[in-house]
Amino acid sequence: MPLIALEGLTKRYRGGVTALDGLTLDIEPGIVGLVGANGAGKSTLLKLLLGLIEPTSGTARVMDLDVRHNGPAVRQSVGYMPEHDCLPPDASATDFVGHMARMSGLPRSAARERTAEVLRHVGLYEERYRAIGGYSTGMKQRVKLAQALVHDPRLLLLDEPTNGLDPAGRDEMLELVQRTGSEFGIAVILASHLLGEIERVCDFLVAIDAGRLLRAAPLGTFTERTGVLAVEVETGSDALAAVLGGHDLEVVVDGRWVLVGFSGERTYDLIRDAAAELGLSLVRLEQRRHSLEDLFRDEVPAA
Amino acid sequence: MSLSPNGAIERAPGATPQVRASGPGGSIYDLGYQGYEGPRLGRQAAIRALYWHTIRSCYGIGRGGRAKIAPFTLAALAVLPAIVGVGISALAKQSGEIGDVLEGSSPIRYATYHGLISTFVLLFCAVQAPELLGRDQRFGVLPIYFSRALARLDYAIAKVLGLVTSLLAMVIVPYAILFLGRVLVASDLVEGLTNELPNLPPLAAQALLTSGLLGSISMAIAAFTPRRAYATVGIIAAFLIPTIVVALVIGTLSGSVADWVVVLSPVDVLDGSNAALFHASADSESVRSADLDGLVYVVTALVGIALAVGVTIRRYLRISA
Repeated sequence: MPLIALEGLTKRYRGGVTALDGLTLDIEPGIVGLVGANGAGKSTLLKLLLGLIEPTSGTARVMDLDVRHNGPAVRQSVGYMPEHDCLPPDASATDFVGHMARMSGLPRSAARERTAEVLRHVGLYEERYRAIGGYSTGMKQRVKLAQALVHDPRLLLLDEPTNGLDPAGRDEMLELVQRTGSEFGIAVILASHLLGEIERVCDFLVAIDAGRLLRAAPLGTFTERTGVLAVEVETGSDALAAVLGGHDLEVVVDGRWVLVGFSGERTYDLIRDAAAELGLSLVRLEQRRHSLEDLFRDEVPAA
Repeated sequence: MSLSPNGAIERAPGATPQVRASGPGGSIYDLGYQGYEGPRLGRQAAIRALYWHTIRSCYGIGRGGRAKIAPFTLAALAVLPAIVGVGISALAKQSGEIGDVLEGSSPIRYATYHGLISTFVLLFCAVQAPELLGRDQRFGVLPIYFSRALARLDYAIAKVLGLVTSLLAMVIVPYAILFLGRVLVASDLVEGLTNELPNLPPLAAQALLTSGLLGSISMAIAAFTPRRAYATVGIIAAFLIPTIVVALVIGTLSGSVADWVVVLSPVDVLDGSNAALFHASADSESVRSADLDGLVYVVTALVGIALAVGVTIRRYLRISA
């Protein structure tokens, strides 16, 4: 049974904007990156999974429960960290997170214990008794994460959790997300438009564009090696290309780079020998990898 | 992943404490994040918790001292006349024949009490209803509520009931003081009780209508704006402007059709129901001259409550989150 099963999920907003267009997809537990440009439909998908908005058509099942009909049951085991501000400035982190624990159905004493626990986990200590209005952005993001974790959900939906954070804050937040996902057995869906973040913490990736599924696959397959060796030389790239071309290799010249089609171990030797014969200074020799950016560059040239 | 008997979905394996350091003195365990295996009480419990939280918020409990000033001042003002009223009754008891005159002319009686405190109840609504609903809209908290065990409908109902209950306390406490005071002041406790007991049903009915109608209308207005000031002005206007318009209409046009406009003014409706329940003369000139059957006001108040609650629920079913 997949963690999330989407079947032709479509959301059209009033005014004719189609945010999601027939999304069919199964997602297994793990840390899943949901990537797409701003407006690609990431937030809409998360809100549909929570039952915050109704789909125009299609179904979404989370943990084998239909979101539309079992909303409260699904949401009891899901944590959601919205993209935008959602914290009342006059409440303290303890009061706010404790209240939200009760809103998830936890008994009073359990809510209190879980609040202390989860605030410590996200790294809020003495300041948790002060009003949230005086917190830094980083601390506010931690409170947002804490309220999503306080009821110990089985699935955590994070919408741009590093929004507005400085590089150090980003690193800490991503590390928290990674620990939460890998050590605590909580499935995570991390929506982000920053590919670098996704690459760092996720093990599965779902790419959407303009409400349509671009690709869903383990992260490795997005960045796997390609059959291309890139050779950087200071000068004489054309000459090198000519020599290598004579050995039945596919060769393309790209400025100082010579891109060579890989055909077995002998390719390395041929490149080395050719460079030596021509007396060229070889700067770099590397196997090209797909990057996540290629995904959007290649398949959606218009976007 | 599967559903366990308590409704929770079971955790994936792998959540175990990590040993971070160990030495001859023992080991330091990083307990890290602990799972929660306890009960998940679900939607009903969440609704109850929100209801109680709303009542506490109404009286500023669990907030700073400043949040308590307005509600407790208004509640005290609503109780004060009852204490004075009991004092008058006690004094009258000891003064023999003059006392009967005093008792008969006392302005603080069951029938007059609604008129004495309705302004405070109204102000309580104008101060607290915008805070109860506007705050969550203003700071974007609604998505966090709606992504939990409770539904949009539950949120609206818990909040409205919370305010209505808080108002009920504000109205019931002085009624109870008045009632108990009169029972205790009587020379014979049993006789006092027999005399006063018939007043309980109308007291309870009027208290419910007052808190229900003023509370639900205030929430219906507060639901439509995150701005506190707008909501407060809107609530005061919704109660004051109809009384003025109704007075003008009834004063200028005479006739049975014009009389019926009085049901459009919530304050007059409650004055009318109070007069009907206690068989007394209404405070409002409009209600007296309209001279409708008492039942009309009671029914109108109930319909008004249903409409206002309906509007609030509808608003929350549609509000974007």
